[in-house]
Amino acid sequence: MRGSDGTAIPAPLDPIAEARAYIGIETEWRTAADRVERGAIRRFAQASMDEDPVFFAESDGNARYGGPVAPHLFPMFMFVRPFGSADPLSERALDPDFDGTGALSTQGLPDITPLAGLSVLNGGSEVEFFSFATLGEEVKVRSKYADIYRKETSKGPLIFVILESEYCTLEGRPIANVRRTQIRRERPNR
Amino acid sequence: MKQTFFEDIEDGTDLPSLTMGPLTTAHLMRWSAAVENWHKIHYDQKFAVEHDGLPALLINGSFKQQFIMQLLRRLAGPGGWIWKVRFQFRGMDVVGDTLFTWGQVVSKQRAPEFGLVEIELGIVNGEKKESTPGSATVALPFRDGPPVRYPFVPPKL
Repeated sequence: MRGSDGTAIPAPLDPIAEARAYIGIETEWRTAADRVERGAIRRFAQASMDEDPVFFAESDGNARYGGPVAPHLFPMFMFVRPFGSADPLSERALDPDFDGTGALSTQGLPDITPLAGLSVLNGGSEVEFFSFATLGEEVKVRSKYADIYRKETSKGPLIFVILESEYCTLEGRPIANVRRTQIRRERPNR
Repeated sequence: MKQTFFEDIEDGTDLPSLTMGPLTTAHLMRWSAAVENWHKIHYDQKFAVEHDGLPALLINGSFKQQFIMQLLRRLAGPGGWIWKVRFQFRGMDVVGDTLFTWGQVVSKQRAPEFGLVEIELGIVNGEKKESTPGSATVALPFRDGPPVRYPFVPPKL
């Protein structure tokens, strides 16, 4: 493409093409900030309004697991900000565009720079379960960008970011495999 | 908890549904705090509506998926296992909604050591719209067999 004066105009950047370069990037194995704690299980179970005794008492429901277990999806929420790490809520307190997410939404993967500024919505998940996390266990995870693509929808163009994560105990017992879909879209009036 | 066996289930069987709500800002905040999710679209009305263009504060997808797990765990019982679950957050459920989580058996098959039940499921919001269609595969023990092996080992089908 050339301008009116005949000089070459660089092709416009294609954010999807740039973003797709992130496909295949994966994290090392990361260990959760804390072990599986009774208090964390209690808060999780109460907040999800699911106070099943399998989570807090010896019962017929958990006898074959050796006692109380964490809810199936609990391990996916163990990778919170560890002691000594940067606090994005304070660092970006005056940033009007900061949506409160951060490493939580990228599962420890690098931010996709070409998609910076787009809003993030949870598009759903596919999960395969193998075992429960139990009290006192340590959990580790590794994640990767599995796919990134754009789709025209009735709500306009949306960008889908697919992340895959494997969760297991520190000793290597598989807990779950998760395939998450994140939806990125333009914010209004941007 | 009563155990449901593979033989108890037929195609078309409805799972006992789950009704949650109305879900208030307090419920959303309690969930966000429990999982340390500080995404403002769940508690900052001005940010959600004016900045992100959403209709209202959204009920977290991560919150809603717990209702699906609760529904499936009741089916699996102490001797079964939830093998797979899939769900899409296609519609927005907003603060104040009451959510109805449902599931129905669509097929079943025998694996060597246990039975597998395929389920269609979803979450219907206060406007009677299906916001979270999904599906699941649950392993159930045979009536005359042992509990599903744990940790779960996927069957070769």
